[in-house]
Amino acid sequence: MDILKMKNSHKLLSEFIYEPKALYRGYTDKTLYINISDNTIKEKDVPQKMKEKFIGGKGYGLRYLWDAVSPTTKWNDPENEIVVAVGPVGGITQYAGTGKSLIVSISPLTDIPIDSNVGGYFGPFLKFSGWDALEVQGKAEKDVIIVIDGNKGIVRIEEAPLEDVDAHLLGEQLTEMYAENEADKRNISVITAGTAAENTNIGVLNFTFYDVRRKVSRLKQAGRGGIGTVFRNKRIKGIVCKFKGVKGDLNHPYDQSIINKTGIKYHKEIAQNDHLQNNMRKIGTANIIEIMDEYDLLPVHNFQYGKHPDTYKIKSTVFIEKYCTQNMPDGCWYGCSMSCAKAVDNFKLKTGPYKGQNVCVDGPEYENAAGLGANCGIFDPEVILELNFYCDTYGIDTISYGTLTAFVMECYERGIINKDITEGLELNFGNAEASLELIHQMSRGEGFGKIAGMGIHKMKKLFVEKYGADKDFLYDIACEQKGLEYSEYLCKESLAQQGGYGLTNKGPQHDEAWLIFMDMVNNQIPTFEDKAEALHYYPMFRTWFGLLGLCKLPWNDITPPNNSETDEPAKVPEHVNNYLDLYYGVTGNRIDNNEMIRQSERVYNFQRVFNIRMGKGLRINDATPYRSMGPVTKEEYESRQERYDKQLRELVGFNPEGKTIEEKIKTLRAYREDQYEKLTDAVYKRRGWTMNGVPTPEKLRDLGMDLPELLEVVEKHLN
Amino acid sequence: MKRLVKDENLCIGCGKCEEVCSNAFFRESNAAKSCVRVQEIEENKHKLTICNQCGKCIEVCPVQALTRDSKGIIRLNKKDCVGCFMCVGFCPDNAMMQHDDYIEPFKCIACGLCVKSCPTGALKIVED
Amino acid sequence: MRLNDREFEHWKEGLTIQDVIDIMRFVYPRLVIKVNGKLIKKEEYSSFVLQENDDLKIYHLLAGG
Repeated sequence: MDILKMKNSHKLLSEFIYEPKALYRGYTDKTLYINISDNTIKEKDVPQKMKEKFIGGKGYGLRYLWDAVSPTTKWNDPENEIVVAVGPVGGITQYAGTGKSLIVSISPLTDIPIDSNVGGYFGPFLKFSGWDALEVQGKAEKDVIIVIDGNKGIVRIEEAPLEDVDAHLLGEQLTEMYAENEADKRNISVITAGTAAENTNIGVLNFTFYDVRRKVSRLKQAGRGGIGTVFRNKRIKGIVCKFKGVKGDLNHPYDQSIINKTGIKYHKEIAQNDHLQNNMRKIGTANIIEIMDEYDLLPVHNFQYGKHPDTYKIKSTVFIEKYCTQNMPDGCWYGCSMSCAKAVDNFKLKTGPYKGQNVCVDGPEYENAAGLGANCGIFDPEVILELNFYCDTYGIDTISYGTLTAFVMECYERGIINKDITEGLELNFGNAEASLELIHQMSRGEGFGKIAGMGIHKMKKLFVEKYGADKDFLYDIACEQKGLEYSEYLCKESLAQQGGYGLTNKGPQHDEAWLIFMDMVNNQIPTFEDKAEALHYYPMFRTWFGLLGLCKLPWNDITPPNNSETDEPAKVPEHVNNYLDLYYGVTGNRIDNNEMIRQSERVYNFQRVFNIRMGKGLRINDATPYRSMGPVTKEEYESRQERYDKQLRELVGFNPEGKTIEEKIKTLRAYREDQYEKLTDAVYKRRGWTMNGVPTPEKLRDLGMDLPELLEVVEKHLN
Repeated sequence: MKRLVKDENLCIGCGKCEEVCSNAFFRESNAAKSCVRVQEIEENKHKLTICNQCGKCIEVCPVQALTRDSKGIIRLNKKDCVGCFMCVGFCPDNAMMQHDDYIEPFKCIACGLCVKSCPTGALKIVED
Repeated sequence: MRLNDREFEHWKEGLTIQDVIDIMRFVYPRLVIKVNGKLIKKEEYSSFVLQENDDLKIYHLLAGG
């Protein structure tokens, strides 16, 4: 397709000229508001109070979203927003993982706020273009694109009828269209979704960064919670941000020197230690595929089992040796020496509309190999890469896709659904062809793909209501909570991680806490109080990354050589200090670890109250499916019989001798469910919430978050 | 390939090389702004930090601001540099230099001024 | 002998830290190991012999995602 022809077919709907404001200590204190219903474009000033309490990133996103919606707003109402925000530290180039955008919207999966973080150049470019955040509200009549030129100070809304929707094409087309020449392409970043984002609830946003070596627009995903679905429902095709002139001091920091020093120290640490530790530069997050299998934590067959004899076929070295093309650097923002963003070049597709073409696949990530692969019983690396590619370009979340496909496969194998319902798809575990056809159906909006694409939460209801499935059993094996699919770790044997998934704001993801080893293997947090402390500290600590515009991985996917000599190696104290130094360097504001946690607590509690306002966010919503807590079926029990019998004897005081499996499952279940309730009590207490999970007015007051609109919500739930 | 080589046994630590280098690059005498560095490690023993044009920095630069010229010398295009300093952190010899007065790093281009200033012949330019 | 505050059932005369790592199949590379509170370096894993009443801690530094 001719780029010029595409461009010429654009119809300008609205134009806004502005004076790009330079950053000062990490902020411009201006945000961009766009309404695509009436084509309003305007700037807003950030009130000082908002800056103090919400810091930036997802804090800003949640604040704006709260103001935009009402308690009855649904994800597809025009007033729902997509907010893109970075944070004060985001955009610096001297430290790893400093280019994250945080995206906030009401989720089509959960009906409550979702936040998802993503790399790529868009967020930093948006900041350098003068905007601490971008709000998009409304719904267009026809497909539109939004173009922000941060050098000239122009924002445009244009009808864009001819461009493709699929991300790998659209990313290239818009990059080509708005770059003056090849060298200018690095100054363009594009947000896209994809064709399947239109037909499912699991849509992602793809953020591009131009890879100057491979000469392709690479894709990073804001994956969780269906924000891409909202994007396409608003009929946005793409958002382009162009900014030329990136330098290392555009944040206009308070103290550049401390940022330089901290960054160079960290680069050296990576240079000297990464190959001895997690090998992030070589393989990225996929390094743990075989590790998870060894520790019985790799989800297999819809989270029934934790390992599989065929895992060796998809272990990280297979991808390193056979598929990944090393092409320094693989960082998704400048200065990321961790460089975990891997790619497979010239991958020849075997199915779908792009069959036979050679494409660049961004991946594989651990979650993809585990979710698209092991959890569905698929152990073919090329199928995993193909599914990975199609998830990205069609604009759907690999994690939700993997988990929901594993779910429908189990339903199919157990006869809960059959070939009539799947319209001929034989969704047995391991059937790669069926999974590929399912994903293509999602792109076309056809067949069973349309049903599966609703997500597990809506599917399970449908299977009960329409197909007469046994509700109790189905709800036990449906790995979703609050409407969001579980990410790809087996947490049955770690009570703390059951809480790490269940006691979260946005549903079961691993952005908040990942405590499996600390709990199950290391046994470092044996009591409920220990676990509750971890389920307070880590979610708050990790929330902070989302306020500042930072990536989590550089925090603990490498550790200084002397880390083991510190008091709390799991917290990686030196890196925490690095972050405090970066925050000080950019903003001039010296805070300590306690204040860091309090900054997060303000936003975390705000989000919790937001959930309650939208009708979820109480104790009942924090309950988890039993599949995540223990063996649902006979086969699961038998696969770990020795371990479970021992637990019955030692922990429950129940002699398993001569008992049926059913009796043993029932007894173990009663015990484990009780444990989860006790954990929930302890965590709520630690977080300053009532036993119904409501932040108390005292807690809000203590945090300086006793805002009238929050008190109004919580007061209804106090007895 | 043209590059600077050293014989640390001959170095007397006078610092002339640093002086002439920082003057050439930044018009001031300041060892912290020199592309060569002299460090006394024990009495009468000196360590010289110099760039051997190995090219590790080219590999890690995210914007291809570092390139090798026809003589084999690695040069930094300051206009394209985004100031990430990964090249500084990844240089095996710590020879990519950085000073907080500037947002880009700087490095030896084997110009040979230091060689001329060295009273003992501890520094030499070779072409191979 | 205790491993991570749990009874370790496979203790025998001459058991080294590396043996425990092998028995437990602790394949993850970033471990922090302490015996009776004292940090043990990686180089010593194969030579460090554990006594019957030792308190061994093998902490995995892995916190996902």
